[in-house]
Amino acid sequence: MAAYHRPATLDDALELLSEPDRVALAGGTLLNADRAPSCLEAVDLQALGLNRIETAGGEVRLGATVTLDEMSRSPAVPDRLRAVARAEAPSTLRTLATVGGLVARRRSDSLLLAALLAHRGRVALAGPGGAGEVGLAEILGEGVPAGTLITAAAIDPAGAVAVAATGRTPADVPIVAAYGRRAAGVVRIALTGVAAVPVLVDWSDPAAGLAPEGDFRGSAEYRLELARILARRVIAELAAGPAEADEEPAGRGQIAGSGK
Amino acid sequence: MEIAFELNGAAVAVEAAPHESLRAVLRRLGMFSVHYGSDSGETGAAAVLFDGRLASADVITAVQADGHAVTTVEALNVSPELHPIQAAFAAVGAFQSGYSAGAMILGTKALLEADPDPSEDEIRDMLSGILDRETAYAKPVEAVKRAAAVLRGDQPEPFGPLILEPMTDGVHPAAVSPDDPAPAAPNSVPRLVPSREVPEMAVVGRPEVKVDAVRLAKGNPAFTDDIEPRGMLYAKVLRSPHAHARIARIDDSAARALPGVRAVLHHGNTPRVKYASGGQSWPNPHPHDQVSFDDKVRHVGDRVAAVAADTVEIAEEAVRLIQVDYEVLPAVFDERQAMAAGAPVIHDEDDTHHICDPERNLVHHIGARRGDLEGAFAAADRVFEQTFRVHQVQQCPIEPHISMAWLDSDERMVVRTATQVPFHTRRMLAPLIGMDIKDIRVIKPRIGGGFGAKQEMLIEDIAAHLAIATRRPVRLELDRAEEFYASRTRHPQTITFRTAVDRDGRLLAQDMYVLGNTGPYGTHGFTVQIVSGLRGLSSYNAGAKRFTCDVVYANIPVPGAYRGYGGPQGEFALECHMEDIARALGADVIDFRRLNWVKVGDEMDIAPHLGERAPAEDELDEYPKIMSSGIEECVAQGWREIGWHRRVDPAWKQPADRPHVRRGIGFAFAMHGTAIPFLDMGGCSIKLNDDGSFNMLIGATDLGTGADTVIGQIAAEVLGVPLDDIKVYSSDTDVTPFDTGAYASSTTYISGTAALRAAEAVRKRLKERAAMLLEIDEPCTIELRDRRAHAPDGRSVSLEEIALDSLHMQEHEQIMGTASHVSPDCPPPFGAQFAEVEVDVETGQVTVTKLVMAVDCGVAINPITASGQVEGGMIQALGYAHCEEMVLDDEGRMVNPSFGPYKIYRADEMPETVVYLVQTMEDSGPFGAKAVAEIPKDGVAPAVRNAILDATGVAIDDLPFTPERVWRALRDSA
Repeated sequence: MAAYHRPATLDDALELLSEPDRVALAGGTLLNADRAPSCLEAVDLQALGLNRIETAGGEVRLGATVTLDEMSRSPAVPDRLRAVARAEAPSTLRTLATVGGLVARRRSDSLLLAALLAHRGRVALAGPGGAGEVGLAEILGEGVPAGTLITAAAIDPAGAVAVAATGRTPADVPIVAAYGRRAAGVVRIALTGVAAVPVLVDWSDPAAGLAPEGDFRGSAEYRLELARILARRVIAELAAGPAEADEEPAGRGQIAGSGK
Repeated sequence: MEIAFELNGAAVAVEAAPHESLRAVLRRLGMFSVHYGSDSGETGAAAVLFDGRLASADVITAVQADGHAVTTVEALNVSPELHPIQAAFAAVGAFQSGYSAGAMILGTKALLEADPDPSEDEIRDMLSGILDRETAYAKPVEAVKRAAAVLRGDQPEPFGPLILEPMTDGVHPAAVSPDDPAPAAPNSVPRLVPSREVPEMAVVGRPEVKVDAVRLAKGNPAFTDDIEPRGMLYAKVLRSPHAHARIARIDDSAARALPGVRAVLHHGNTPRVKYASGGQSWPNPHPHDQVSFDDKVRHVGDRVAAVAADTVEIAEEAVRLIQVDYEVLPAVFDERQAMAAGAPVIHDEDDTHHICDPERNLVHHIGARRGDLEGAFAAADRVFEQTFRVHQVQQCPIEPHISMAWLDSDERMVVRTATQVPFHTRRMLAPLIGMDIKDIRVIKPRIGGGFGAKQEMLIEDIAAHLAIATRRPVRLELDRAEEFYASRTRHPQTITFRTAVDRDGRLLAQDMYVLGNTGPYGTHGFTVQIVSGLRGLSSYNAGAKRFTCDVVYANIPVPGAYRGYGGPQGEFALECHMEDIARALGADVIDFRRLNWVKVGDEMDIAPHLGERAPAEDELDEYPKIMSSGIEECVAQGWREIGWHRRVDPAWKQPADRPHVRRGIGFAFAMHGTAIPFLDMGGCSIKLNDDGSFNMLIGATDLGTGADTVIGQIAAEVLGVPLDDIKVYSSDTDVTPFDTGAYASSTTYISGTAALRAAEAVRKRLKERAAMLLEIDEPCTIELRDRRAHAPDGRSVSLEEIALDSLHMQEHEQIMGTASHVSPDCPPPFGAQFAEVEVDVETGQVTVTKLVMAVDCGVAINPITASGQVEGGMIQALGYAHCEEMVLDDEGRMVNPSFGPYKIYRADEMPETVVYLVQTMEDSGPFGAKAVAEIPKDGVAPAVRNAILDATGVAIDDLPFTPERVWRALRDSA
């Protein structure tokens, strides 16, 4: 980094970020790990007060600078989701990595991002034109619009959850993982490792339309097979779980595919 | 910009650049407990408490810390005594190198402040961000529990081994009942089965706290990087982007013009002196195919040029400014293609000699045999042939290679370096920098792990060349990616076994062919493949044996020494092959091995023919024999611990609640060596101080193994003093006696015997002086114990009184002793390795749930450090078997040169690990000791493979057992 700024207000941050070669700095686990020389200037978000976890209207709102460690400890976050947040990074990086950074990074193999998708994740953005919200899937697909800043991610915490993953070791970043959620009669399945970003898939044919790129951990063929197996397991676990009064049985619910 | 933050409770203000990491600033402020492991923070070696939370200081910029509170382990160092957390880590042997000690202690502090009684899962989660390549985390977890107990006001029992009764008579197998439960104890506690031949001793055999525990627990400056000579320059290396290329032109003018650059070296301005970089005894095996800087590069990451500059950043910028025109050449990576017609010739220069066939990239063709092989195969009832492929992995010391070099006031070259071989490094460095050995001093401080990667003169020549060029101190440290592709690795091999068996299941002949890939340079290529043959052909008796090996060049990152040194490759192939033969014969997999494995009194028949100075068969009339073996006791103890009987329990093997899971248990017989006979040598010098304590100087190289402690215990036992009265210093080529270094499982056996003899010399003189003071005619009747010399009549004199008398009163002398040792023997340790796995038969995912190793290492001088060696070795070996692999793309670039993509085990995903130490009395070793450091690397991969076979019926002959490989094997077998 060539320079460092720590704005005290969101407006100051947006003004700073309106200049070229400036980037938002949250936890730093990605930006600061890159030691290559750079002309970029860091705009540190730590003083903006975006580190709160709030519940309102049936949703949980995670501030952009909430760390994964804070998320994993918050009673407002469902247990399984807390466990996924804890598994997203080891202890020494989890205390730095943030929700905003997670979304902005858009890692294909992020199980936590898949979980946020399944929990109807929405992303709050602030920009020169004001604030607004978009679906997480849209952000994952298109990236954070230039000149805007992630201020929070909101999720619907309700529902039954199932997770299945395959990795080299128990704590390995999964080659492919499935996060399933059943709420209000709707089953949503999100997969990692089968596309450029985590994606919601059709539960009745989870591999449909997927064209994963292979790498040394898993070929495209293998990833597709894992997608089918892991999605099937997640659906089966959701189906075997206790039904809620307002739900249809899992496996016959409304198909959620867009993530919007 | 100026920043202000709270450091260990005190306000500090400091200048920091925007890009500067908090780790760098903390070290600038003298917090040397914060160590470099990588820039991306995943090693955790630089973790601190950041506003009370454990966080990697690598990925926090200092400017981000402005206004925050930072705690390092130095905050706990408020008195000479250790903080209870530090004391708990020391008490249970939780540190080996201790490179990440500060992070573990701070994590414990934060955890216990939040929850004074955490669960084991919570402890393991806390440790999940601190990668430990040494302990398997068992003892760190125990340390946290112990610290928690102490801080809650409990008084835990002293930590020590669980003593068990033998299950066998030491010779015959024992019947183990399924109803006989394994002993209950935490997994961190070694199970010790004593030998009736071993007498009770005061210091040897005791769980002594390591002699370096205080400095490591406190994070005191102890490692190479923990000093900062005035005016030091920083070095960086320009590395090849190509796997094979000729350097057509190199232009360093822009780099030299950069302000702050003090020297730029490359083939155009550095003497061309041929050498082989492997840290081995003189004369280093041929070919000597390296130079400091060449006009050709032979792997991605090979050296091109080096820069010394005022700062790291300037050095990095200068490296970028060096213009190089490459003539890119075709490359070959796979040993199976390296000798093919049309393969590129990797060493076409005219000044490298003793390459067997350079046109075919054939470095060595090795052969050894005993008996009538052809006749044995012709007479056999059954013949089995099988080919295995083992892959390339890296040692992954958390401390990367680092060296500092400077000219002292006498203009002698001083090299402070993280090395396992200081004396070899001094000798090998001399011709490269044009100085005499006598004008070079190599200092080995504490090392943050080596595992063979530092059995190499890897970067010391670069630092020394730059120090000469600039006449200033120069520091060169590899970053994590360089540690992967520009350091050393394990040799990939393709191994074929052919075995002849009679109708009773006895082996008649074994024929082993190894095609070894030594990468672009020979370095350890000859010796590692020899050891593969030694390990592959020594474990079982057969009337005829043949070893054939081709060692070839290829354009991959350079293989070298890695703990086990060819043994893990050879034993993987052997133990898989033996498993499959047993199954094909319908025999019990252990009984079949037992029928054939070597026993006490058996000859190690091919061993003498496999070595650097090996004689031919007709030149030998006597072969070394097995003199001690505890293998039957190892098998019995391990059998009971793993629950071997469950292999035939269908309900256990296929759990009803998880229909896609199959369970299995595998076994492997392990046998290793103890030092290299007639070659490995150690020296020791001991002198008496005024207060009756001793200084002990050893050339042996403790790289976290506990060698200083163990060798100190041997001397303390002889001299009748507690370990604390032996002040151990190792190693410094100007000060300490010669030692070949830390490799080949030699240190306890060789250097320990040197210490034993030096202590015996001192003891003899102490007795003579005591006899003089006590006016006794027969000094040999005096015994040393409890810091005193005791006469048979009950009178005694203290060692302090002897010291004061001899140094200050009469017939003045410095009581001291020096001895060295080289052994004609190589007594093998034996081990029974068991593994339990779960296989997801739909996805191919293998989960290793338990590892048990029962090992006969002779007498464990220190059962805690010995069990730590086994635990750590097993987990490294598990990585080799299960998840670690260096992956190269089509151009030879490593695609996963960081932790994560290169997967090593962390604390929150470990299988259970249980260690049994089965004592035998090895008369040739100090107090009965054999080796323990490398044998844990040998059996895990075949035991895991055989467990997968037990679970699924599918045999997989390539490593590692990653999910897709297993999935494909299952699918192909269906």
